[in-house]
Amino acid sequence: MSHLSHVYMRGTPFEARALDDVSFTIEDGAFVGVIGHTGSGKSTLITHLNALLRPEEGRVIINGIDTAAENADLKTVRRTVGLVFQYPEYQLFEETVKRDVAFGPKNLGVTGDALEKQVENAMALVGLDPALGEKSPFELSGGQKRRVAIAGVLAMEPQVMVLDEPAAGLDPAGRADMLNLVKKLHQAGKTVVMVSHSMEDVGRMCQRLIVLNHGKIAFDDTPANVFSHPRELEEMGLDVPQSVKLAIRLREKGFDIPQDVTSVAALAEALLGQLGKAGDANA
Amino acid sequence: MLKNITIGQYFPGNSAVHRMDARMKILLTIALLVDVFVSKGFIGFGLIFAFVLLVARTTKISLSFIVRGLKPIAFIAVFTFVLNLFMQTGGETLFQWKFIHITSGGLRTAVYMAIRLLLLVTASQLLTLTTSSLSLTDGLEALMRPLAVIHFPAHEIAMMMSIALRFIPTLMEETDKIMNAQKARGADFESGNLIRRAKAMVPLLVPLFVSAFRRADDLALAMEARCYRGGKGRTRMNQLHMTKVDLYGALAVALLTAALVTLNLLGAV
Repeated sequence: MSHLSHVYMRGTPFEARALDDVSFTIEDGAFVGVIGHTGSGKSTLITHLNALLRPEEGRVIINGIDTAAENADLKTVRRTVGLVFQYPEYQLFEETVKRDVAFGPKNLGVTGDALEKQVENAMALVGLDPALGEKSPFELSGGQKRRVAIAGVLAMEPQVMVLDEPAAGLDPAGRADMLNLVKKLHQAGKTVVMVSHSMEDVGRMCQRLIVLNHGKIAFDDTPANVFSHPRELEEMGLDVPQSVKLAIRLREKGFDIPQDVTSVAALAEALLGQLGKAGDANA
Repeated sequence: MLKNITIGQYFPGNSAVHRMDARMKILLTIALLVDVFVSKGFIGFGLIFAFVLLVARTTKISLSFIVRGLKPIAFIAVFTFVLNLFMQTGGETLFQWKFIHITSGGLRTAVYMAIRLLLLVTASQLLTLTTSSLSLTDGLEALMRPLAVIHFPAHEIAMMMSIALRFIPTLMEETDKIMNAQKARGADFESGNLIRRAKAMVPLLVPLFVSAFRRADDLALAMEARCYRGGKGRTRMNQLHMTKVDLYGALAVALLTAALVTLNLLGAV
């Protein structure tokens, strides 16, 4: 993706520049977090990733396919990049869970046993009981519905999964489950791009963070490096994780906490190490 | 594809037309629509057109924006034109080939109908473009209030209209979102024959209805939570006031109507 810009409703008083000269590359197998406060262009950005929006300026190249080209093979792009929108459960429509999950692959021309297999695999991957397959998706709980929706995208067997706030609106247990699921997808070999508001989540899970601010990339780095700019992040209306905040305060007090601590677990470990040393010195 | 619908959209501004009282604007628009049908000749249409153009200039809304709103009507206008052209008779025959038979009377009716249609839509568009949906329904409610004597539910209808208007953009946004989500799953809304396309709408319409019902439920609950009990004894935050601008507007339309009636009486075509 290079020098991508997108202007909404050009020429009307509602004109808004959603993306402004955004460039980055995502490697195979990466786990990238996209953060930014509301209206920073996150959603516009990810809709470009599977060519639902085509670039107005600049280019988006997915596996060598330039989506700005007139004759671009959009079907292949959409098969490569699976996009799960915010609150994906609202896109369910079929009579049974199975048929809803099969909608995507069917559109790609998969039939028969292969279709059955892909649906089963996707349902297993998101941890849905096969017994639910014949139920109506509207009878399920919120978290289950969301799993069905994600399975619907997974069933197309994309290489890249792009998820927009997969954990939004779930209770704490559902949240943890959902984030584990995202992690599992990454471990299963998918390239994952996750949009989130939660610094805690992206800090703990992602290898790389892209921070958007007013349609521009503010940071594109490892979580540790991004979180080493707490003041700039605050100015963008963002925050750093609690653990990083605590680490900064502790560092000010003279504790030796490594810069790459971005999660509660890592902080606890670093602290334990420190306290252990201090204990040894006292002894 | 849904973003280009300008008809019924409010275009914020602060022109004299924007500041007019919604009640007066509605009445004047109705008067203008009657005028369009009163008029029986090109001079009359010219007058109305000039008037509409003048109002459009006053609103400071770009003409191209208004013209864009006519696009959905263009097809209907052409259709009526063609229909009238072939169906209406009278006057001398201009063209005849097998069963096709075009007369000067037919041609005139066809041209008139097309012009009338476009003027009608442009005039009503000026109303919706310059009036927020809130004041529009307030105005309608105020105008319908006298009908309460015959137990006409003016408030309920106004409330229904304002809710409907309020949710048009929301539903459009929702449609866009669901469409994108289904497209991401490989759905194809644009190709295939009529039956295939109708079938392709199912994945769009089912979620849309589900969410519309959910929204309706939520809205009803939210309104009840704020003690909404219908229109009786309800006061308004924004009172409607007539000002000088309304007087001038009324005078201008009255003048136009007088001119058109005079033209008719003189028998000018």
